[in-house]
Amino acid sequence: MIRLGLMSFAHVHAEAYVQNIRGIADAQLVGAADDDRARGEQCAAKLGVQPFPTYQDLLAQHLDGVIVCSENSRHRALVEMAARAGVSVLCEKPLATTLPDARAMIEVCARAGVILMVAFPMRFSAPLLQARQAVEEGRVGKIACCIGTNQGQNPGRHRVWFVKKELAGGGAVMDHTVHLVDILRWYLHTEVAEIYAQTTELLPGGNGEVETGGLILLTLANGLFASIDCSWSRPASYPTWGGLTLELIGERGVLRVDAFRQNLVIYPERSPAIGWQPWGSDANQAMMAEFVSAIRDHRVPAVTGADGYRALEVITAAYESARTGQPVRLPMADQHAEGRN
Amino acid sequence: MRVAIIGTGFMGKVHAEAWSQTDARLVAFVGKKGAEGKTLADAYGLRFATTLEAVASDIDVVDICTPTHLHLEHCLRAAAATKHVICEKPLALTVAEGQRMIQACRTAGVRLLVAHVLRFFPEYRLAREIAARGDIGEPAVLRLSRCTFRPRKADNWYVDPARSGGMMLDLMVHDFDYARWVAGDVVRVFAKAAQTSVPPGGIDHALAVLTHRRGAISHIEGSWAYPPSMFLTRLEIAGAAGLIEFTSPTTAAIEIHRLDDGPSQDVALPTSPLRESPYTTQLRAFHQALVEGTEPPVRAEDGMAAVQIARAAIESVRRGAPVEIEQEGERR
Repeated sequence: MIRLGLMSFAHVHAEAYVQNIRGIADAQLVGAADDDRARGEQCAAKLGVQPFPTYQDLLAQHLDGVIVCSENSRHRALVEMAARAGVSVLCEKPLATTLPDARAMIEVCARAGVILMVAFPMRFSAPLLQARQAVEEGRVGKIACCIGTNQGQNPGRHRVWFVKKELAGGGAVMDHTVHLVDILRWYLHTEVAEIYAQTTELLPGGNGEVETGGLILLTLANGLFASIDCSWSRPASYPTWGGLTLELIGERGVLRVDAFRQNLVIYPERSPAIGWQPWGSDANQAMMAEFVSAIRDHRVPAVTGADGYRALEVITAAYESARTGQPVRLPMADQHAEGRN
Repeated sequence: MRVAIIGTGFMGKVHAEAWSQTDARLVAFVGKKGAEGKTLADAYGLRFATTLEAVASDIDVVDICTPTHLHLEHCLRAAAATKHVICEKPLALTVAEGQRMIQACRTAGVRLLVAHVLRFFPEYRLAREIAARGDIGEPAVLRLSRCTFRPRKADNWYVDPARSGGMMLDLMVHDFDYARWVAGDVVRVFAKAAQTSVPPGGIDHALAVLTHRRGAISHIEGSWAYPPSMFLTRLEIAGAAGLIEFTSPTTAAIEIHRLDDGPSQDVALPTSPLRESPYTTQLRAFHQALVEGTEPPVRAEDGMAAVQIARAAIESVRRGAPVEIEQEGERR
């Protein structure tokens, strides 16, 4: 039995992860802790999870792994705590808010000999897996251009820290860029070479602190180019939280994949709110299964801290580009990479 | 449970793939003498036999994946050998044949499960679940469409109504069963049909209006008149307190538009990327019901009722009039 713990309920995904762990036969959710005591107790009670007063108390429960769901800028402290206790980590994305933090996390886990996996569930999405296979089979030939969207509702509506720069590290760019960067690297077997980004605060809910919209143009090491729309551009009335799409323009055709299109549309009689009910396979569930399986088999998971680092590198460069209005090449000069935040 | 698949064609292959993902043990393929069946059996590391009797001592379950007109014969043989039967949809070519199959299995004391796989497609399952828990009130008007191209095969039994029952039985039976699953038993059917193109196979596009005993009405569309490689499905359940809607193109997670579109398949299945194929989900559920002796998710009587609706629809087209369905009382 793989013994798991949950560190912090700050991120909205924590609730889903609790259910995902319960869906795995040889995993057990031992308990949870949260530095916000009130939030911790409330969430633990609501989800029927055993609460522990401190992270140290939780880590003393002979755990095999923890899921870190704290505010972005607090990932490092919790990952370090877990690694020192010899416990493997599945860390919510983005891995960290600064590159030095991300590097420190990767190093501490490597030294402790524990797994550091980053929560990129799209690697386990059935539509994305199948589309990737089509690409690998050459169905659309050599790819020239990719168009990605990961738009959503403003998450600050549910958890206010998402729009606090000190805790989130940024706004829409920080929240919604990493998935597509990771997918592009995974699909195209290449790294990002150059980043151009423009951001806006015109969409509501940025708290005067963070950008609420962003468009990013990337050039990849093999010369092809891609765009990412990471905007919180889905209004409150949108039938779901948002979505993720990727279009690949190839020499032999076009492939479009939509990770969240497998829905029923529900129109209620008594309210104007149209709702979507998803029926596709749960990518989070498969991601959690991979974490548990990697712990069990003492192996490197399918997505690692290094992948989280690469995605964060692009975000960091995107903020620099948005600030200067100029494209930024990777690897960045250190004063830019480390000067943020 | 040890399983033998009868039939080495398209559905036999689909079932073999699905069985290989379950805890059941697939032992043998039974099929016509020839290289094709042997090759398929070898691909799965299975025995190949030309008669059921040759493998009977090594199996517990017979999975019938043959053309529809052979379901009766294989089912009777399986029952005679006291093997449980899983049968591809439609259960039988006619109501009378279906009744003989049910009777034979009952007498032999074996189970008869009908592979109405649509009940295991997550979108159809979820829509039914939402309707069943009352979120949209009592289902009132259902619209179900299933539109694809005329199957193309070397020995094309699909387009021979004497062997497949034609499009209205082979294809529309899916949605006849689904409508009944959502809105209850059907008491009246009126259907209209056309043959839009020259090749043999009879009717290739049909509409049927079903009247359910509880008062709901259903509009069922089936088609083999669409161009190759298309498989379009639509679902709409309008209830007193809301509407559920689904169409396959608007939920297509992957779209590929190729400049030089290659050869398409001979027979199409509706697909959406999922971690587990609905065919696997179905056979896993059937396997569990057989192992644990629990009520199967699709009963022989459900398969029978769907054939009855399809036959009434075909009869309605022939007569140009509505057909009443007589049955042994409400089933849910």
